[in-house]
Amino acid sequence: MIWFLTIVLPLLAAFFAVFLPAGRRGSGFILAGAALPALWLGLVEVSGVTAPWFLMESHFSLDTPRRIILLLTAILWATAGLFSGSYLKDDARRGEFSFYFGLTMAGNFGLLISADVASFYTFFALMTFASYGLVIHSRTPSARRAANIYLVMAIIGELFLITALYLAVESAGSMLLADIPPALAESPDGPFIFLLGLIGFGVKVGAIPLYFWLPLAHPAAPAPASAVLSGAMIKAGLVGWMHLAPVGLVEWTFLSLLMVSLGFTAVFGAAIYGLTQVDPKANLAYSSISQMGVMTVLLGIGLYGDIPPELLLPAIALYAFNHGTAKALLFMGTALPAKVGGAWRILMWVGLGLGVLSIAGGPLTGGLWTKSLVKTFLGETSLPGAQTFMLLLKLSAVTTALLLSRFLHLLYRIKAPSGNVAPAFFLPWVLLLLAGGWWTMSPGLLPGELLSHISGAKGIMDFFMNLQKNWTAFWTISIGVIIMAFTLKFTHLNVWPTKKPSLPPGDFIHLILFAGAAVAKPLRKGISLLESGIQSIPGPEKIFYIISDSKRTSRISSAAEALLRRWEFVGIGFFIFFLILFLVLR
Amino acid sequence: METTSFLPLLILISSLVPGIMILLLREEQFAMRTFLNLFGAVAKVALVGWVFAGYLSGEEYNFIFRLAPDLTFALRLDALGLFFAALSSALWLITTLYAIGYLEGGLHRNRFFAFFSLCVTASTGIALSGNVITFFIFYEFLTLSTYPLVVHKGTDEAVAAGRTYLWYTIGGGTILFLGVVGLYAVAGPIYFGQTEIIASLISEYPTQLTILFFLVLAGLGVKAAIFPLHGWLPVSMVAPAPVSALLHAVAVVKAGAFGIVRLVYDVYGIGVAEEMNFLSVLAVFAAFTIIYGSVRALYQNDFKKRLAYSTVSQISYIALGVAIPGALTSTGAIVHLVHQGLMKITMFFAAGNVAETYGHKKISELNGIGRRMPLTMGAFTIAAFGMIGVPPVAGFISKWYLGLGAVEAGSYWVVLVFLASSALNAAYFLPIVYRAWFCEPDHEVVERLRSGRLETQALLLIPVVVTGILSLTSGLFAAVTGSPLSIAREIIEKFYLL
Repeated sequence: MIWFLTIVLPLLAAFFAVFLPAGRRGSGFILAGAALPALWLGLVEVSGVTAPWFLMESHFSLDTPRRIILLLTAILWATAGLFSGSYLKDDARRGEFSFYFGLTMAGNFGLLISADVASFYTFFALMTFASYGLVIHSRTPSARRAANIYLVMAIIGELFLITALYLAVESAGSMLLADIPPALAESPDGPFIFLLGLIGFGVKVGAIPLYFWLPLAHPAAPAPASAVLSGAMIKAGLVGWMHLAPVGLVEWTFLSLLMVSLGFTAVFGAAIYGLTQVDPKANLAYSSISQMGVMTVLLGIGLYGDIPPELLLPAIALYAFNHGTAKALLFMGTALPAKVGGAWRILMWVGLGLGVLSIAGGPLTGGLWTKSLVKTFLGETSLPGAQTFMLLLKLSAVTTALLLSRFLHLLYRIKAPSGNVAPAFFLPWVLLLLAGGWWTMSPGLLPGELLSHISGAKGIMDFFMNLQKNWTAFWTISIGVIIMAFTLKFTHLNVWPTKKPSLPPGDFIHLILFAGAAVAKPLRKGISLLESGIQSIPGPEKIFYIISDSKRTSRISSAAEALLRRWEFVGIGFFIFFLILFLVLR
Repeated sequence: METTSFLPLLILISSLVPGIMILLLREEQFAMRTFLNLFGAVAKVALVGWVFAGYLSGEEYNFIFRLAPDLTFALRLDALGLFFAALSSALWLITTLYAIGYLEGGLHRNRFFAFFSLCVTASTGIALSGNVITFFIFYEFLTLSTYPLVVHKGTDEAVAAGRTYLWYTIGGGTILFLGVVGLYAVAGPIYFGQTEIIASLISEYPTQLTILFFLVLAGLGVKAAIFPLHGWLPVSMVAPAPVSALLHAVAVVKAGAFGIVRLVYDVYGIGVAEEMNFLSVLAVFAAFTIIYGSVRALYQNDFKKRLAYSTVSQISYIALGVAIPGALTSTGAIVHLVHQGLMKITMFFAAGNVAETYGHKKISELNGIGRRMPLTMGAFTIAAFGMIGVPPVAGFISKWYLGLGAVEAGSYWVVLVFLASSALNAAYFLPIVYRAWFCEPDHEVVERLRSGRLETQALLLIPVVVTGILSLTSGLFAAVTGSPLSIAREIIEKFYLL
């Protein structure tokens, strides 16, 4: 029952948004309430169910990694729902927003609890297409452009994905997602199928080189929608990868190195490019690409096969959890500086600071912990170049800190309102802050095996006692922050743009569009030439049209008629006809 | 044959007799005409349902009438035929409702509804035919009964379209006739399902049977709008919306596709067709048509014309599914008979509603139409996503089976064709969806004064909502017994003796 409610309640919320009287549409409580069953499933272990009547026989169940991500997703949708209720209070299209919000939520929960290919793909598609409505919400030209680029990329992703799924299901001989990784490990086409999936889901993850829609689309949506886009939905692609990846079963050195190097390219490339942005949300979007790069690296290590999946996959999920809560906190936080004043502002800055620190892997945050997981695995794997990758990972804290302190600076420049004011949506934001901080202290959530593996100790507190071991985390971050502070302090060193981004968001898409425009014109000309050429050739259709042209046919037939009316002609005709008949029958 | 039952005949009579009676009515006898229409439609659905239930519990229904020595008119019910009959009778009922709403106050309603009934008689006749000759009779009957519907408006354009339609279909009929006669000469009377006859003769008459296969295929290909025989279909979309809906979803194109299914599975048999490489030829033509139709659809600004080219493309899914041997592709092909019907009829209803209510016939005029006609365009959106193959709409189920089957058969190029087609479908359907929901109307629209709160007349609205919901549910609950998919799977189990 709880499984169905998880999907049905968000759908109901979507339809309430359309059918309720205009004044009651888009209530934050309805949207948040719709996420409660998912929250329950994330917190409490419930055995899976089969729905033989749904699609092509559906199965719903959860394993540890997906449960962690479901919990993250439910927290984000619930808080973002509450947030949007008051954030969009005066928006004329809030009903419409809630409709797409509910549909997207249903898709996001559904794909996480699906255990078979058909329902997974169904909910994945629902999420993909419904979130279009969130991205385009403001209807500005830039939002439209962002949404349409998103849609094109999403469709390309879906096509790769469905191909991967056809091949995977065929080689597994089963619709169950759990049967796919072993089948790919066995099949000689396994790496190819995985590569297709890598591309298909890579669009959603924002993996290099498929990411360029993301810095356009994630910032275009209203703040709560950006939060779920960048915090929760981006992880759906990751879950997809995890469904396909035969972690611990194969030794695919090439794919492993490919993923690790693409991951690191994203880690550094996106962080550096993000520094050129002036829109705080674009900055965060690049940070998301950068952080998804770390998760790509982790899964890439898994393809080398020397890390057991029961350790690696929950670790990836934990990393996603930490990044998701913190990123959503920051995305929703972009709406705060202009509205929060006085004493509340202190709380706001503490929250934003913790969010930034957590993403960078700073002390006393969940980020320190999840980052040390990555280090542990990089230390354990015998993947060629693991030492270099370890160094790169440590360095990445510098660029992350640089990027996110820049984010804080961008918010800092927004003028604060006077007096002790806080908007209603400050409360859900604080709730999210608490939810994000809470898990770092809660060992109950974690698989104990994983915990002891990374900390070498039994309990979580022991782990935190060993903080000095991870002190490196602190000084790498400090380097980043200090560089940012330095460049800001001494204005003649200030290289950061203030009004216009020094490079446009979406980077390569502009090159692609430019090249596209250059190619499209002659191409279109060529096609129209070809078309007019083809149309002048009497094709099979044309011939029929000519025959069926009444004037021409009537002329021919009346000529024939006139001929037939002449008796000598008819007579001769008859004679010939009978002659032939006679010869044939003889 | 064993027992004679008049039930199959009764199914035909349920629309034939109302059709003839309507011809005798006076134009203004609206109530009587509507009663006859609905009585016939409801009776047919009930009869088909009754017979279907009987068939599933093991009853057999045959009706044999000797036309001449060795020439029999045979109605025989099998699962495939009943499947098609159920589709036509159910969608006929819905379309009748729609047509009543659509043509209210129009001209020549008697003529229209009479031929409308005859047209459905023909297509159920095709569904229930027990042998090749009977099939041919109804196939030609269908051609003749649809012509008055195509030219119904009587405009120059409609008459020209009708002429093109006749040239194509009569031409196709002639070729089919040659094929049917040839088959009779070589193999004698063939009842559907007696594939052993051809199988035993194929080694003796390989050339003749090859030629005959392609003659029959060409004859059927005209109605199934397989390139290069598709030219009549986009032209004849000048017909009124309910006719287009019926033509594209159930009657004419489906008759062709259904005929191809019969030809391959029940006359020649999959074994022979595969062995003789007939199927690869069919596959190439079908694949080309899928792409060609989609590309042509991209260029159309006329709403119905875009839908028409989309039909050209979608119907070939069925042919391609038949042409790739394997249980999965066959299931996909047969279930697409129904799924395409549901989705396309929804789209034509929607196009008709928009044209009837606001007079918009061009896609460029559809900006913001979703706000004014949310239910109509909502149904259209569902159908459009289904055509692209996005789950959970019915089209996804068809595409899933077709694609998976193609992978299983090792025909990877077919997978590429489906992918390209999905991309093209997205490219020509999503702009309509985008305009409807996300664009502001270009100019202030004068709201039509309407009594009541519905976005258009109830009789126009209910059918589109019903078929829209059916398109969704037949995908969403595909695994339930009684869904199109479950029936298609049973039919296929018989062919492949699984």
